[in-house]
Amino acid sequence: MSMNEFDDMRLRDRIAANPRPALFWLVGALVLIALELGRIADGVLRLGGAMGLMVDMVVTIPSSVRGAVASSFGTGAGIAAFVVTAFILLGIVAIIVKWLFIPWSLVDRLGIDVSTGREDILERLLVTGLLAIVAAALVWTPVGGLFEMLIGVLTRGVEAVGSLTTITSREIIPNQGYQLPDGSWEGTFLGLSPAWAWALRVLVVYAYALTWLAWLWKGYEIFREHYREADWTPRDDSINRLRTHYWGVFGFVVVFMFVVMALWAPAVSPVTAEKNLYSPYEHEIQYQGDDGVESITHGDANMNSRSRGGDQNVGLMSYDDYDRFHPFGTNADGKDLFTFLAYGAQVSLVIGLLATVLMAVIATVLALITAYYKGVADLLAIIASDSVIALPRLLLVLLLSVLFMQANHPIAEIYNGGLLLALIFAGTGWPLLWRSVRGPALQVSEQEWIDAAKSYGQSPTATMRKHMSPYIAGYMLIYASLSLGGVIIGVAALSFLGFGVQAPTPEWGRAVFEGKSFVSTSSWHVATLPGLLVVFLVTGFNALGDGIRDAIDPQSDSGDGSAAAATGGGG
Amino acid sequence: MSQNALETGTAEADVDTDSHQDSDVMVEIRDLRTYYEGDGLLGGTPVKAVDGVSFDIKRGETLGLVGESGCGKSTLGRTLIQLESATGGEIRFDGTDITTLSGADLKDWRRNAQMVFQDPDSSLNDRMTIGEIVREPLDVHSWKTPRERRQHVKELLDTVGLQREHYYRYPHQFSGGQRQRIGIARTLTLEPEFIVLDEPVSALDVSVQAEVINLLEDLQEEFGLTYLFIAHDLSVVRHICDRVAVMYLGNIMEIGPTEELFSNPANPYTHSLLSAIPEPDPTAHKDRITLQGTPPSPRFPPSGCPFSTRCPARIRPPEYQDLDNELWHQLDTLREVLRERDRTEKTVTDRIRELLGKEPHFGTIDEIYAELFDDQEVPPAVEEVLDDAAELARGGNEQAALDLLGAEFGSVCEGHVPDGANEANDTDAEESVEPDYHVVSPSGRRSLCHRHDADADYRKPEHVLDDRHR
Ligand code: SF4
Repeated sequence: MSMNEFDDMRLRDRIAANPRPALFWLVGALVLIALELGRIADGVLRLGGAMGLMVDMVVTIPSSVRGAVASSFGTGAGIAAFVVTAFILLGIVAIIVKWLFIPWSLVDRLGIDVSTGREDILERLLVTGLLAIVAAALVWTPVGGLFEMLIGVLTRGVEAVGSLTTITSREIIPNQGYQLPDGSWEGTFLGLSPAWAWALRVLVVYAYALTWLAWLWKGYEIFREHYREADWTPRDDSINRLRTHYWGVFGFVVVFMFVVMALWAPAVSPVTAEKNLYSPYEHEIQYQGDDGVESITHGDANMNSRSRGGDQNVGLMSYDDYDRFHPFGTNADGKDLFTFLAYGAQVSLVIGLLATVLMAVIATVLALITAYYKGVADLLAIIASDSVIALPRLLLVLLLSVLFMQANHPIAEIYNGGLLLALIFAGTGWPLLWRSVRGPALQVSEQEWIDAAKSYGQSPTATMRKHMSPYIAGYMLIYASLSLGGVIIGVAALSFLGFGVQAPTPEWGRAVFEGKSFVSTSSWHVATLPGLLVVFLVTGFNALGDGIRDAIDPQSDSGDGSAAAATGGGG
Repeated sequence: MSQNALETGTAEADVDTDSHQDSDVMVEIRDLRTYYEGDGLLGGTPVKAVDGVSFDIKRGETLGLVGESGCGKSTLGRTLIQLESATGGEIRFDGTDITTLSGADLKDWRRNAQMVFQDPDSSLNDRMTIGEIVREPLDVHSWKTPRERRQHVKELLDTVGLQREHYYRYPHQFSGGQRQRIGIARTLTLEPEFIVLDEPVSALDVSVQAEVINLLEDLQEEFGLTYLFIAHDLSVVRHICDRVAVMYLGNIMEIGPTEELFSNPANPYTHSLLSAIPEPDPTAHKDRITLQGTPPSPRFPPSGCPFSTRCPARIRPPEYQDLDNELWHQLDTLREVLRERDRTEKTVTDRIRELLGKEPHFGTIDEIYAELFDDQEVPPAVEEVLDDAAELARGGNEQAALDLLGAEFGSVCEGHVPDGANEANDTDAEESVEPDYHVVSPSGRRSLCHRHDADADYRKPEHVLDDRHR
């Protein structure tokens, strides 16, 4: 086959022409998935549940608007408000659907002839219309019932898969048991001590995650070698630079460890959160008491293993009286601190990611628009962001979260206030992020290739997407990873003050809060360990951000002004 | 604009109808103005980057556009392909006024006119492959099928002297000259008739400049292209252009066939611009004409002739006809110094010094006067004016001093109505006189200068320049 023919093929064709490397990689990936299928199905189920909850909430918005308007302006106005709200919501969904799922233009397909400016609007209207038809069909026709049934069947199927055991499950490597008088262990994996059994499980988890990482890298290499058209791209250099950037690699390792800890929280913690944190009095353990094997609820056992200074202490790497192993000791309530922190990592990660993604999206869109149109658009954005920045951020966050929680707003219930916190942090954080990328965005907008795009009639949205956003994306990644650290600290600070995530949901800030009075006693670990973890994690995110920046933009070194701006973005 | 401009317009129209008959005009530009709004939100004085130009571009020709940086030549080029929107005037492309186009019509028209940009580092998006870059215009206009687009792009890469395999490379992997070729390939994709070349070789190594220029010439021949060649480098212009337009402060000072304009310039500005090129013939006794000062800000152009603040051939008022050249030179320098002082932002310390009755920092008026006039023989009439002006300037009022000097030593060039002019003009003394275009050769070359006015009895610019500067 000649070079030229090869050039003219798409990725799918290229894989079809030479399927072996791709198949090889795929088989490996499938094996890895199969090993953890149960856990993945579990995750999917929870994600689906959260999405369902979101959809339910959004769906009620038009009705509640109708109710509010109708009570003060009459039924007619209420119905009008209902229609308008529904239309706006559908419009927003339409933009997302169009962006994600419809790569071709409906307007072109239908052969409608309109001017360039109006084409986009018409396109969106068409998608909105289609969505409205689908929505109406779901609500008013039997299709809705069918749809619900389908979802039910799907859910049950995934549930069945979710009950499969995985290599990291505690059924395969149990770490809870009791010690017989002769010193041997009953109930643990291969009769190992709980400490070793637990360590083994953690090891398996990290080994599994590392294997995935290596396999993904392998996949990238296979793609690069066999399927990519260009033999060199600017990204290659960036990746190479990141690999040799030790500070950045350190950051990556820290972040990786944190993410794995959060994702596999049920596997890495010595005991599940359900048993130890949420309903400790409904689950029992067995231990070797004075009169042979006895049973006790987690709650009662916890009461007797509290770490409150003096003699009442279960420190690092120690067992309590009930043969339970506590890698990080227990907290002031006698709960296992490591379990608390592992699940807390999950909470922090979800809130941090949600808030950061939201603000990154807002900031990117705004930066593109203000840089492309400049003038009035820029000015309005400056006014808006300055008004937000002018208020002290933590106070504002505090105020809003207290407000919503006192009012018992339905949002405050989701994820024990986690969603609310994420929204609040996003709402107060986007100005900093926008400020950080405004400069680069303006710089890109001055490039001649933007003029060139205009000169052959490229539309503004396409110009922003193709010619501007790739240049901001790198910066966005940097500042987003920095502000993710900021959000995690912020949430911890709020929880420390008693206003963030509410008990019993574990959260790092609350761990520090609960242990702060024992710092100078023998139970120093209760507050110190979570505090150190927060510092460590935020440092990790900052290091990763530095690494990415240097990888993308080799000219900038860590000591210049943008580094100062970057730390400012951490808020 | 004043009535003068209207008259100017008709005068040109006459000229243009002449040229209309013997050649095919592609673009007609009439009284085109492009102003940039002030920095502030509430407007402010706009920058008059292009301030009323009129000319034609003939099909298949290469028209050069030269001038100092900041004279508005780039803005003119960008306005012609509608990267900037015109503030006023018309651009007629084969009869259609494109300044009125918008939406789909404008997008459609854009296929006809493209631009090669100055900086090959900045004109190619370096996150895209060469293929994607060159293909984008085709994608935008949904040209044929994707397969045919790829084919077409590869052929174009061939045409501009690159290889087909470069399709999947990235801009980083190419030298400046090659990158410029890629840019040229991109402008060719839509098969335009008209291309604006905005200093296409000035960012390149001297060694590759010639190659790119030759490529552009070959392409013009092959595809029958019409070029507007914006340039800094006059020798390149002389080589490649059929006709040349000389621009100063948003106005075209002279426009005509290249060879003629280079060998026998008419306008004083063209004279000064050309005298900056080293003369190939060492026997020719031609001194460089050094222009005084810097070009005025296009935000506040001078009244009268745009070149009047620096013109080496400026018309002098009849009552001071007998003053020494030397003294005139010093007077001009004085006005330039005052202008400069007026323009300079005063620092806080300067203001405090002024308040305390001391002179601002940059040299006192008396020092300047001593420097300029000490070894001059100044007639009493002039002395008197100078003393008054010094008084005003000492008080920190440079503008008033300038007005005084202008009223006394200014002439028709600065917009003053000449004494001999008819009564009608005298009634509104506010109205300033602007020079007209005059045809200065049988080829239809035009120049913007009072000195060509056959009715008034001025000497020709070249003679004046000989007298004053050689
Ligand atoms: S009108 Fe002619 S002589 Fe007078 S300033 Fe202008 S160019 Fe010079």
